Amino acid sequence: MPRVTYRLPDGRDCEVELSNGQSLMEGAIRNGIGAILGECGGSAMCATCHVYIEGGPVGALPSMCDDEDAMLEEAAAERLGNSRLSCQIRMNAALDGIVVRVPEEM
Amino acid sequence: MNSNVEPAKGAVCSKARLFDEEYLLDPYPLYQEFRDAGPVIWLEAYGLYMLPRYVETRRALEDWESFSSAGGVTMNDIMNEKLSGGLLCSDPPRHDSLRKVIERPVLPRALSQLRERVASEAKGLIERLCRQKKFDAATELAHHLPITIVSDLVGLPEEGRERMLVWAPANFDCFGPINARTNAAFPVVGEMVEYAFSQCVPGKLKPDGWAQMIWEAAHRGEVSLEDAPFMMNDYMGPSLDTTIFATTWLIWLFANNPEQWRKLRENPAMIPAAINEAVRIESPIQNFSRHVARDVEIGGVILPKGSRVIVSYGSANRDERKWGNPTEFDIMREDSNEHLGFGHGEHNCVGKNLARLEMRALLTELIPRVERFELHEAKPAINNVLHGLKTCRVTVH
Repeated sequence: MPRVTYRLPDGRDCEVELSNGQSLMEGAIRNGIGAILGECGGSAMCATCHVYIEGGPVGALPSMCDDEDAMLEEAAAERLGNSRLSCQIRMNAALDGIVVRVPEEM
Repeated sequence: MNSNVEPAKGAVCSKARLFDEEYLLDPYPLYQEFRDAGPVIWLEAYGLYMLPRYVETRRALEDWESFSSAGGVTMNDIMNEKLSGGLLCSDPPRHDSLRKVIERPVLPRALSQLRERVASEAKGLIERLCRQKKFDAATELAHHLPITIVSDLVGLPEEGRERMLVWAPANFDCFGPINARTNAAFPVVGEMVEYAFSQCVPGKLKPDGWAQMIWEAAHRGEVSLEDAPFMMNDYMGPSLDTTIFATTWLIWLFANNPEQWRKLRENPAMIPAAINEAVRIESPIQNFSRHVARDVEIGGVILPKGSRVIVSYGSANRDERKWGNPTEFDIMREDSNEHLGFGHGEHNCVGKNLARLEMRALLTELIPRVERFELHEAKPAINNVLHGLKTCRVTVH
């Protein structure tokens, strides 16, 4: 199964295996990673699963829809060029090894 | 309303009186009958169509040009007239400009600033209730955050605030078809409107509150000065019972499903999923309506322009075609975020993330302190469109 690394606000790296089709937000929640809140449950409606893409196969990321783009503008932590909502990224083999940093502010 | 109109071809006629007390108390068997009968029901007693299934309800909520809110979202002409042009009863582009002003204080960045304050208030409350052991979750637990914190943030004058818990449900009673309940509620809502016009004005509002921000937006020309008093109701009406009922249902559901509470305690990161699942299975707002603005095909039926159709969040959220074991409360359900309990499309609930933040704060404090809830007594609150408990007495162990 493909793996993702969550770089947490306290500096720890947390690597977990996700099943294909599971979003990076769900992967965090179901593995007890509380730094990602995922308040709305995966509908690109709350910006509390904001992450920065730090490394891995970034070319394999899905493109951003308008809802995600608009919501990132409202995110609590500063929006950067590598900002994404982790609920909008679904795991697949091509994304194996992706690394995301979780901001302190949600 | 349109009671003299023949129903459209293909719609299933029903004589059922969905808004009679016995069905308001337990609408679910009737919803199921409707869903099994077809995608479009004609409710003869009210002259209204109804979409009881998930797919059509979702589609209607996404197609505001056919299923218009500007023609009213309640089930009677009097209320639709009174609310016409307001946040709930408008379409883009007018709706966009109103919503932009109303939603400003509940956008993610603003909410992020609030999280700590709500968490600390929740901690104090839950510590106290856990010492007390036995309490009414519907009042002592669920009232606290909406009434202390949210009312303070909105910043309405203290005088009259205590009436808010009477006004808010009366406002929703007026969303039903005309019946004894609707008629009894109209004068109460009149009081609320009077309060908005006479009390919710600059000088009487908290200077940095959300209500005052509406007036400031009006002075900047983002909305008109005439709109401002009506917009006060958009904070008053929906911020109380909806959140209060959802919170109470959570406690009731966990009391009745102790294994689900155990699962949540094992992984508190599942809190948002638990909240979605509660709002799915016991949706605090059961039914609104839309005005059919042009002839439109849905579920194989052509609804005629000018008719009115009930969008049933409560029924869609239990549709067997969409959900496996729909009557089961399962916090691990994978697609619980797809429920329509907060609405969907242009008019999805403005305050949903605030409500979620409040409920998360309460659950976060309950998880380490409560192994199980023992339910003593639950009594329903009856309302034309709201669905909740007025009493939910529990002991925490």
